[in-house]
Amino acid sequence: MSDKAKQMLIFILLLGGITSALLVGADLITRERIEANQQAFLQSAILEAYSIPFNAAEVNNIFNAQVETIELTTEDGTVLVFYRDPNTQNVSFQFEGGGVWGPIIGVITLEPDFSTITRITILEQEETPGLGGIIAERGYLNNYVGAKLSASITVSHTSVPNDPNYVDAISGGTRTSERFETILRNTYTLHASVWRAFTEQE
Amino acid sequence: MNLIRLRYKKWFNISRDGLTQNNPIAIAVLGICSALAVTNRVDNALAMGLAVVFVVTMSSLTVSLIRNFIPSRVRMVTYMVIISSFVIIVQLFLEAFFPLVAAALGAYLGLIITNCIVMGRAEAFAVKNPLKYTFFDGIANGLGYTYVLVIVAVVRELLAFGTILDVRIMPAAWNNWAVMALAPGGFFVLGLLIWAIRELTNNFETVSE
Repeated sequence: MSDKAKQMLIFILLLGGITSALLVGADLITRERIEANQQAFLQSAILEAYSIPFNAAEVNNIFNAQVETIELTTEDGTVLVFYRDPNTQNVSFQFEGGGVWGPIIGVITLEPDFSTITRITILEQEETPGLGGIIAERGYLNNYVGAKLSASITVSHTSVPNDPNYVDAISGGTRTSERFETILRNTYTLHASVWRAFTEQE
Repeated sequence: MNLIRLRYKKWFNISRDGLTQNNPIAIAVLGICSALAVTNRVDNALAMGLAVVFVVTMSSLTVSLIRNFIPSRVRMVTYMVIISSFVIIVQLFLEAFFPLVAAALGAYLGLIITNCIVMGRAEAFAVKNPLKYTFFDGIANGLGYTYVLVIVAVVRELLAFGTILDVRIMPAAWNNWAVMALAPGGFFVLGLLIWAIRELTNNFETVSE
C-alpha cells in the first residue's frame, strides 16, 4: 500500500471515529427527552381523539387518570398495547410501517365495534413534502373518519361513493397511499383478533 | 473615519459579501427549496435560519481546521460526512428541546445536508482559508440566508394568516390570502424580493448576444 493510500485510510478512519463519537454524545444527551416528547405526542393524540381536554404540562397525568391502557399478548408472544376511553369505549392503538422514504407511525381510534374509524393522527413520517407528506395533514386524515377499517380497506383514486371501505388516495402521492393502505390492513389484521378475543372474555 | 477604515478590513468584506453582495438566496439563488417551503410562518423561518447558521458555520470551521489534512480525492465525501453530522446534531437538539418546531420543519431540517450553501461555502471558501475568516464567512452566509427567509416569512404570514409570530396584526375583517400559505405564494414573494434587491443594488446578470 502506498503512503498516499495509507494517509487516506488513516484520515477516513479518524474522521469516521470523531464524527461517530460526536453523534453518540448528542444521542446520549437528547435520547431521554426525545422519548418523553414522543410519548407526549402519542398521549396528546389519544386524548384529542377522546375529546378529553388537556394542557401540555399535564398531559401525562391526565392521560394516566382518564385513559385505560391494556396490554395483550399474541400467540407468538408479541405484546400489543391498546388504549380505551372508559366513557365511550372507543379504542386506540399505534400503527407503524414502511412509507416511501421512511417509517409512517401513527395512532388510530376506532368505535367500540372495532371497525369504524373516529380519528387517525400521524406521529412520524418522512414522505415527500407537499405530495405524500399530505398523509399527516388533518384535512386529508378527516377523509378516514366514518370509514370502516377492515382487512379489505382500500385507499384508491377510484371514487366509490357511500362505500365505507374506500378512502380517497392522495393525488401525487400514490405510492404513499398504497403503503398507508398496507400499513392499515396489516395492523388491523394483527390487532383485531387479539382485541375481539379480549372483549369476548370481558 | 473608522467606518471608512472598516471597508479595508478583510473580515468586513467577507461579512458584507455573505450578507449583501453575494447573498446566497438573493444573488446566488441557492437554498431556494427550503426557502419556499418553510417561510409560511416566521417562527419556522427563524428556526430554519438559525439551524443553517449553525451548520454552515460549524461545518466550515471544521473543514478549515483540517483543510491541510483532507486528501483531495475524498474532499467532497469529507464535507458530506461533516455536514451530515452537524445536521443530525441540530435535528436531535430540536427534537429534544423544540419538538413542535422540529415537527413543523419536518423533512426540510434533514435536507439542510443537501443545501448548496453549506457545501458551497466549504468548497469555495473554508478549504482555502484560515479559521478566523472562515468563521465570518459562515456566519455571514448563514445570516444572509436567515434574513431573506424572515422577510419572506413576515410578508407571507401577514397576508396568509393576518399574524406575525402568531400575534394578530391585521384587523379582524381581514380576509386571509390562502395562496400565501402555499408554495406558489412563496414563489411570488421571493421572486419579487430578489427582483427588488437586485434592482436596488444594481446587481444584474449580463446576457451574451
